[in-house]
Amino acid sequence: MSNNRVSRRQFLNYTLTGVGGFMAAGMLMPMIRFAIDPALQTKAAGDFVQTSQKIADITEEPIKVDFTFEQVDAWYKSDVTEAAWVYKSGDTIVALSPVCKHLGCTVNWAGDSAHPDQFFCACHGGRYEKTGKNVPGTPPTGPLDEYEVSEKDGFLLLGKKMPNTLV
Amino acid sequence: MFFNAKDVQQFQSQKEYIDTAIVPLLSINLSEAGIVQSSSSTEFLMSLTSFIEQQFKGRLMLMPPFSYTEGTRGGLSVSLLKEELQKVGFKHVLFITCDHFWTSLGDEIDVIWLPSIPLESMDREVKKKVLEDQLKLVIPILSSKWTQV
Repeated sequence: MSNNRVSRRQFLNYTLTGVGGFMAAGMLMPMIRFAIDPALQTKAAGDFVQTSQKIADITEEPIKVDFTFEQVDAWYKSDVTEAAWVYKSGDTIVALSPVCKHLGCTVNWAGDSAHPDQFFCACHGGRYEKTGKNVPGTPPTGPLDEYEVSEKDGFLLLGKKMPNTLV
Repeated sequence: MFFNAKDVQQFQSQKEYIDTAIVPLLSINLSEAGIVQSSSSTEFLMSLTSFIEQQFKGRLMLMPPFSYTEGTRGGLSVSLLKEELQKVGFKHVLFITCDHFWTSLGDEIDVIWLPSIPLESMDREVKKKVLEDQLKLVIPILSSKWTQV
C-alpha cells in the first residue's frame, strides 16, 4: 500500500464528480446535437442534377448532355428531359442551354454547314458563337443561358440556369 | 408553341415567325380488341409531337389533337380545318397521324403518317432514342416545307 492514502471523503468526491460529469454530459450532448442539427444536415446535392456524362470525356468540342428531373405541376408529376451543350474551355467546363433566346427552339452545334463553329437554330437561322454570344444580324437578341456546373465522382452535375457569364 | 394561353399570346405578337401548325389526328378505337393498341399509338403520337414542339418551339404551333372514332371520323373536315388555320396566319399546316386512312387525302392536305411504336414497354433511354429517330424522319419534311417559300 502506498503512503499516499486516499481518504473516504476524497474517494467519494472523485467518484461523485466522475459520475456527475457523465450524467451531465449524457443530458447535454443530445441537446447540443439537436441545437446544431440544421448545420450538420447534408445538403440534397443542392439543386444539381446528376448526368451520365463523365468529366474526363468532355473535350473542346461541344457535346449534347441530356439530363432528367422530376417536375411537379400541381398534381401532375412528370419527368422532364432537358439538354445542355457541354465543352471544355481551358480547364473550366462550360454548359450552355440549348434553348434559343429568340423563340425557344433547340439550337444545335454546327447545325449549319456554312458555320461549323457556331450554334445554329434551325427555326429562323439564329446563330451563336461558341461562348453562346448571339451573332448580330440573326434573330436572337441575347446570348444563350448557362448552367451551373459541378462534379461528383467524375460525373458532371448541372445546376440552375443563369444568364451567360462568358459574354 | 403549345396551344396554351402563354404561348398563344406570344404567337399573336410574333406571327411572322410562327408560320407552321402541326395538327395531330388521333384515332380512338374503343373496341375490346383495339383499345390497347389505340391508347399505345396515342401515347406515341403525343410524345412525338411534344418532342417536335420542343425542337422547333419558335416556328410551329402544336395544336391540341383532333380525336375521332371510326364512326365520327367522317365528321372531321380536315381541309376546312386547314383553311381556317391558314386564315389566322399559318402558312404551313401539317397533319401528323398514325392512322393510315389520312394518307388517301394526301393531295388535299399535308399528312405525315408514322407507324405507331409501342413506347410503353421501353425504358427511358430507349424511348428517347426511338423518338429521336422518328424526329429525324420528320425534320426533312419540315425543312422542305420551310425552304419552299
